[in-house]
Amino acid sequence: MSNPRLPNISRRDLLRTSAVLGGAAFGGLLPSFARAQEKTLDMWWWGEQELPGLQKFVDSSIAAYKEATVKSMLQDTAVVISQFQTAAAAGKAPDIQYLWNGVYHMESVWLGYLKGLKGLVKEEVLTASNPTALSRFGGDIYRVGWYPLPMFWCYNKTLFEKAGLDPEAPPATWDALLAACEKLKTAGIEPLGGGIQDGYWSEWYITHSLPQNLDSFGEAVELFIGDKDFRDPKYHEHWTKLAELKTRGYLNKDMSSLELYPGIDLVVAGKLAIGQTIGTRLPADSKATGGKIGYMTMPVFGKGKLAGIPVVDVQGLGISTNAEDPQAAAAFLEFLNSPERLKAFWDATGWLPSNTTFDASVIADPSVRGLWENWGLKPNISNVTNLVPGQFYERAAIPTGQQIVQGSMSGEQAGELASNTAKEWREFNPDMVENYRKWALDLSAPI
Amino acid sequence: MTASQSQKLKPYLYVLPLVLLLAFVFGYPLVRIFEFSFKLVRGVDGPWIGLRNYELILSQSLFWESVLHNIQLLLAIPAMVVISLLISILLYERITGWKLYRIIVFVPFVLAIPIIAVVMKRMFQFSGPVNEVLRWLSLDFMALDWIGSSDVALWTVMILIVWRESALGIILFLARLLSLDESVLEAARLDGANWWQRVWHIILPQMRGVIQFFVVVSVITILAAVFSYVYVMGGGRGGPGTATMVIEFYIFNALIRASLPGIASAASVLLFLVSVLLIFPMFRARRRVREEEA
Repeated sequence: MSNPRLPNISRRDLLRTSAVLGGAAFGGLLPSFARAQEKTLDMWWWGEQELPGLQKFVDSSIAAYKEATVKSMLQDTAVVISQFQTAAAAGKAPDIQYLWNGVYHMESVWLGYLKGLKGLVKEEVLTASNPTALSRFGGDIYRVGWYPLPMFWCYNKTLFEKAGLDPEAPPATWDALLAACEKLKTAGIEPLGGGIQDGYWSEWYITHSLPQNLDSFGEAVELFIGDKDFRDPKYHEHWTKLAELKTRGYLNKDMSSLELYPGIDLVVAGKLAIGQTIGTRLPADSKATGGKIGYMTMPVFGKGKLAGIPVVDVQGLGISTNAEDPQAAAAFLEFLNSPERLKAFWDATGWLPSNTTFDASVIADPSVRGLWENWGLKPNISNVTNLVPGQFYERAAIPTGQQIVQGSMSGEQAGELASNTAKEWREFNPDMVENYRKWALDLSAPI
Repeated sequence: MTASQSQKLKPYLYVLPLVLLLAFVFGYPLVRIFEFSFKLVRGVDGPWIGLRNYELILSQSLFWESVLHNIQLLLAIPAMVVISLLISILLYERITGWKLYRIIVFVPFVLAIPIIAVVMKRMFQFSGPVNEVLRWLSLDFMALDWIGSSDVALWTVMILIVWRESALGIILFLARLLSLDESVLEAARLDGANWWQRVWHIILPQMRGVIQFFVVVSVITILAAVFSYVYVMGGGRGGPGTATMVIEFYIFNALIRASLPGIASAASVLLFLVSVLLIFPMFRARRRVREEEA
């Protein structure tokens, strides 16, 4: 009995159709088989959010690269770490991954998700890209530097002139800073600060101030693993100094209710004399003020070997252990550091790539050139807050600064909170303590 | 299987796909969250550690500070009920311009929380419009650091919650008011009952069910759905310091910023259990509303 719902197909029709479909399928396979001969790399990256123009650079680099087909994906800020770690755990991580510095990628190293780059990427490329000391673990390096983030204190030269201060000689010591703040205040100018409501000012303050009493970054790690203690005055002096600025009335009154970048804008707008900023802002801020934005290291109060050394954080790229062809991924990273690509980076972003071989003659702005020569090319240290565990960052690093600025916490109390939080972190993360202990060995090496 | 047995089974087969879908979408994650809460999770899994996550959470001052803030925020509920009742009754009585007012009071509930929180944040800055107006009115003593002071920040968040969530109360109460028998109110008016007497003796008793419902919904909202308010108003931190840290934010920080999915799961389980306890009175209140309206 024939079923009216089924089409009436003869055996001949079936064979003919099968032959056509089979031919089509085979034909379709041919190009993909041919494609399989080519190398394909997946690259997940971040940074357009921080440095507009990167997308253009990534696109042009992919178009110019002939050795492999590179597929890129711009990640959302909130998932840069978690998306990579989840994919890596599932064995589906990209070949090349964008990596923030310090613990933000070191955790992935400890989980076994990242490949060591020594012997994989040319040594001269690795060194010139300055992946920073915070990318070293167990004698290997896990990132190639991509673009630098010099971190510095900025000041408005016009306001300095108005207060009778030398705009070309910013204060270099703590006493000189207090004297300058007093002069500015007397002249009716809010001396120092920015915006701390979103917390980042608090982080940056630690970046500049904590190293002043450290001899190495390994010493900072010892604060978390319990070998050193924030209750020791040496390790909370930086918070005592911030409290001193507050007590003397040198911080801007609206600091607690402003966010980081609107706070920096106050310096550019001539409403605040001294603030904290990062290099990527300098070209635009210098242009907006006719070159009246100056840069300096945080005035020195500490006695550690790291005091007064410029801070340069670096964003980077690494290779995942899931990469099918790590050599191909390394070759692409080397390509991104070729002279032609470094120039393309500058053209697309108006900012410097992280590479000491970059031809800086293209930089027109004297402030930016000075920053690159004095920060990028001379000895510098990385960002100490990049080795702060996330739990400590949220529970102590950010709240301490905020509470000191609003006048509800002293430097000593901040040290107490930090000490307790470090202890809490050890209890919550017993498996991480040992990793940090090993990391301290790498970080204790001379700069 | 007999014909009658298969007939009985048929309805269950129809709903089976949906049940399986629901079990996958809601049940599976819930089971995994319970499982994670007993593990030290790194990446996507980790070793079993029993009740350790719960012990750590319950011994942490930050967790209890977060719980306390949620409890403090519950103080917003009486304010929300009173404001919603007052406005809904005024709208019900069709005061001049009531149509326009009705649209205006509904607007906060239509707008996305992050948007209004950003606007409110600007307004409440130390140098923002709210303080400027207060200074202009020579009320300098009232010009506070609304979002930058630990003493005030939580109350500022509460003001925003009251302002927006009251709109839901107004919608619910007005709907109930519109179903009242107007002849009873008219009779009371003819008998000489004043406005307050009409509200107290006639309107409020009939609205008891919907008020209970609104209170229970608001309690759940404040325990488990104020993240957006706190995130935006607190600069993404729940601050200044930990001044506006709530349980949801605690979970977010543990998961995203401290890379502790086990801790985040354990806190989620605790929050889930508290919410489940509150769901029962909500169902009871809903049943009562239906009975009153019937």
